[in-house]
Amino acid sequence: MIWILLVAHLVGVVAVLSLPNPRPAFAVALAAPLASAVWAASRLGGGEIDTARLDWVEGLDLAFSFRVGPLGALLAVLVSGIGVLIFVYGHGYFGGGDRRGFAATLLAFSGSMLGLVWADDVWTLFLFWEATSVTSFLLVGTKSTDSTAVTAARRALLVTVAGGLVLLAGLLVLVDVAGTATLSEMGPVTGDQATVAAVLVLVGAFTKSAQLPFHVWLPGAMAAPTPVSAYLHSATMVKAGIVLIGVMHPVLGAVDIWSGLGVTVGLLTMFWGAIGALRHADAKLVLAWGTVSQLGLMTAMMSLGSGKAIFAAVSLVVAHAVFKAALFMAVGEIDIRTGSRDLRSLSGLRTSMPVAFWVMVFAGLSMAGVPPLLGFPAKEAAIEASLNESGASGDLILAGVTIGSVLTVAYTTRLVLALFSDKGGEPTEVTPFRWAAAAPSVLLSALGVVGYVLAPSVTDWVVPAAATLETTSAGYALLRWPGLNSTAFLISMGIVAGGAIIGAAAARHSSPPEPLGANNVDRLVDRTLDLAKWTTGRVQHGSLPIYLVVMALVASLAVIPFLGSIDANQLYAWDRPLQAGMGTTVVAAAIAVAVIRSRIGAALALGVVGLGVSALFLIQGAPDLALTQLLVETVIVVGFVIGLGGLTTQFPTNGFVWRSVRIGTAVLAGAAVTAALLASAEDTPSNREALTAAAVDEGGGNNLVNVILTDLRALDTLGEVVVLVVAAMGVLALSRADTARGGGAPLSDDVRKVRR
Amino acid sequence: MSITLALVVGGLTSVGVYLITSRSLTRMLLGFALLGHAAVLALLAAGGEAGERPISGDAPVAELSDPLPQAFALTAIVISFGLTLFLLALARRQAQLTGDDLVEDDLEDRRIAIETEAEGDDA
Amino acid sequence: MIRGRSPVVRSAIRAASPLALLVAAFLFFAGHNQPGGGFAAGLVIGAVVALRTVAGIGRPQDATRWFAVGTALVSAVALAPLLGGEPLLDQVIVSETLPLLGKVKSGSALVFDAGVTAIVVGLFVAVFDGLDADELGRDEVHV
Repeated sequence: MIWILLVAHLVGVVAVLSLPNPRPAFAVALAAPLASAVWAASRLGGGEIDTARLDWVEGLDLAFSFRVGPLGALLAVLVSGIGVLIFVYGHGYFGGGDRRGFAATLLAFSGSMLGLVWADDVWTLFLFWEATSVTSFLLVGTKSTDSTAVTAARRALLVTVAGGLVLLAGLLVLVDVAGTATLSEMGPVTGDQATVAAVLVLVGAFTKSAQLPFHVWLPGAMAAPTPVSAYLHSATMVKAGIVLIGVMHPVLGAVDIWSGLGVTVGLLTMFWGAIGALRHADAKLVLAWGTVSQLGLMTAMMSLGSGKAIFAAVSLVVAHAVFKAALFMAVGEIDIRTGSRDLRSLSGLRTSMPVAFWVMVFAGLSMAGVPPLLGFPAKEAAIEASLNESGASGDLILAGVTIGSVLTVAYTTRLVLALFSDKGGEPTEVTPFRWAAAAPSVLLSALGVVGYVLAPSVTDWVVPAAATLETTSAGYALLRWPGLNSTAFLISMGIVAGGAIIGAAAARHSSPPEPLGANNVDRLVDRTLDLAKWTTGRVQHGSLPIYLVVMALVASLAVIPFLGSIDANQLYAWDRPLQAGMGTTVVAAAIAVAVIRSRIGAALALGVVGLGVSALFLIQGAPDLALTQLLVETVIVVGFVIGLGGLTTQFPTNGFVWRSVRIGTAVLAGAAVTAALLASAEDTPSNREALTAAAVDEGGGNNLVNVILTDLRALDTLGEVVVLVVAAMGVLALSRADTARGGGAPLSDDVRKVRR
Repeated sequence: MSITLALVVGGLTSVGVYLITSRSLTRMLLGFALLGHAAVLALLAAGGEAGERPISGDAPVAELSDPLPQAFALTAIVISFGLTLFLLALARRQAQLTGDDLVEDDLEDRRIAIETEAEGDDA
Repeated sequence: MIRGRSPVVRSAIRAASPLALLVAAFLFFAGHNQPGGGFAAGLVIGAVVALRTVAGIGRPQDATRWFAVGTALVSAVALAPLLGGEPLLDQVIVSETLPLLGKVKSGSALVFDAGVTAIVVGLFVAVFDGLDADELGRDEVHV
């Protein structure tokens, strides 16, 4: 079933792209998520575990491996269930137009996310992790003509992919220390290596889940169309880091630094995100900063690692996915129907857009943690988990969660009040209602209430999921009404009251927002590109001779390590005395080739070299080579004279310096090759007896060289033939270009321009 | 290994490298051909001592020269032959288009280099 | 430039052509047991093409046809064994006693070699198509 569902996403992507008519794109796209959501929902609360495994490279222990237990089912319901609603919403949001590519990419993301939450192998997990980064990049950059969107997409990609690399490093260390790549087989690890792995994995998770200081990409990603923001940047992808922290809890949770680092960063992020949400006047940015803040709380809870905290984290993931997606959808609906998301200018929406208003009220109350909504028991669990912590660090955690929660209530209050207040003057104009854009958000905000009413059922789904990460989570429950004597409840009420007052006050003032760090990333990117360009400009100046000199020098240096293995016992002066004489002739003729400045003369000298080399072949006992070389040499000299003999221009002359560099390089290269050859001398000839026998028996010939070429190693010859054919094609193409282009004047103009 | 052969290979390589770092395609072609000779001789030298021609039955097997490097060398000759002819056609084409056979700097590379030089002056 | 158009040269090349082809045939068939082989044979035929080009007498024109034949032969020998479940390029040796030539022992390697020959000849045809002395004489390089 796991395979069917994952492959169904892939098939869906192809199907959407090949639709003849763009109209049903979203309808076709939601089939696979719908099936996944239904299947996963049927397993909620149950204890069964499904696995699927496909070996990829067995020797390297690489495999696609999946395992769907209670946590996998719960997360799949969120990913695919909200996915279905997003596709419906997308249909309404775009209201026509060709969105096949968008729908297909969104579906590809949905499938990647599913693979990520189901993965049972760190490499499978990493693969899908990166797939979500890439699809996210494509979705943020949907409006590829909008430079803001492109910059934001680039920023998001760089931060998440850089984090992905850190994660990869962490996973490599982890697999080394844990001895397996299969998550369900990993036991707890500790020690120095585990600490390194823990830090790297946490950093990877922080980048994906927009934790300080990597949070900068998330607000920018709001340049994406709202369905993307609602799906990727609130409900699913940004939770991947938190899920990762959870999945790694049984393995790395015992490492000292794990919870300290995670909780600190999480709480700081919660605070900083809430401040950001209070400053901005763009409703979508308020939600984005709010998401950063909420993700901080979840990170803190997940890394805190006590049974209650893990339980709270999983509950928060569920509650947040439900209310934040609804909030985004409502803001998106306002955006498309009024053309604005500005808290300071929108007016009269309470009467003109009542559905969006009530959606935001209910979802907002859930976010603020007010009963009777699902956000309340989840937030209660978080506060209780903080209360359970002892000592000074416990007090700090409690203080952090409390302050963060107060601010959460404040920015929620401010958002709803400011967005729907009457600013005086004309009410904002509103285009007609679209049910497809409104229905999913209504459903989600209603689920907030239903979830509260059915809290015991939700508990039944969350507890087994949390218990797969931390067994002591088993005893906890989502409480609808903890009672007035519960400390947590009193704190909770204080938070709501305090937050509401601050929020109401803030609704009247909006300070102009500052970029808050995003431009640091952009600056870094620009600097890197400048540096790359500068390096390219210096190193890659375009002169072929200089490239060749550099290559020859570097290649010559590569010989140095082998100098030690020159063994004088393997060396002798010559095979036959004649070899020395012929060798001298060859080298002398070669020097003549370089010195003679007439083309015909140089070609003839080259011919002498060839003849000399043929003679050396004969001396060596290689008549086949000698014969072939003789023929080849003749042809090349004739071709050279016919082809280039008519050229009367002088060879270019060089300045003294460049000429010296060339000569120096040449001498060095020659010395290096001689040294390398001498170092390779070794008395291990190939097995001639076996070769001879094979040639006569199998190849049916006595000329060993020829039998080797046409039979024993015929594959080499086949490759050689291919090279010949390709070279010949090139020759043909070059010679025919004359007639096809009639002289080729345009090219020469171009070339002359640069020569100056 | 025969030191003579190794020296010949080195000498051919030197002249070959000197010639291919020229701007004239004709000279590069000459250099390329010399490097081809060097490579073939190197293969042969690596095959060990000289011997009788490797034809079964001509001489006792132990006295034959090693046929395997010869087969490799033959392949190398053929390939460098094909590429030399290709270079020849290239040089000729260049001569037809521009009147000489000089290798020009890469347009795109030059553009980037000039841009960065200009930026460097601004800074 | 090269203008070997004197009648003597032409006649000599005309007369030499069949002889050279004979040499090529010898090299081709000798290759299995003596120095020679398909590549050398191709070079000799190629040299004939070169000479005829220089002399301005008829020569093969269509290089692509030679490539087609050569590639087809080589690929056929390479792929045919796969049909019979043998490895790529597996050779078949035929040993027959023919009426005139006596006992002939050879194999599919001969066909493979013939393909190599055809491709080498094609290369020559292509090159001398491009380097046609006639053409160079016409549009003498202008500086």
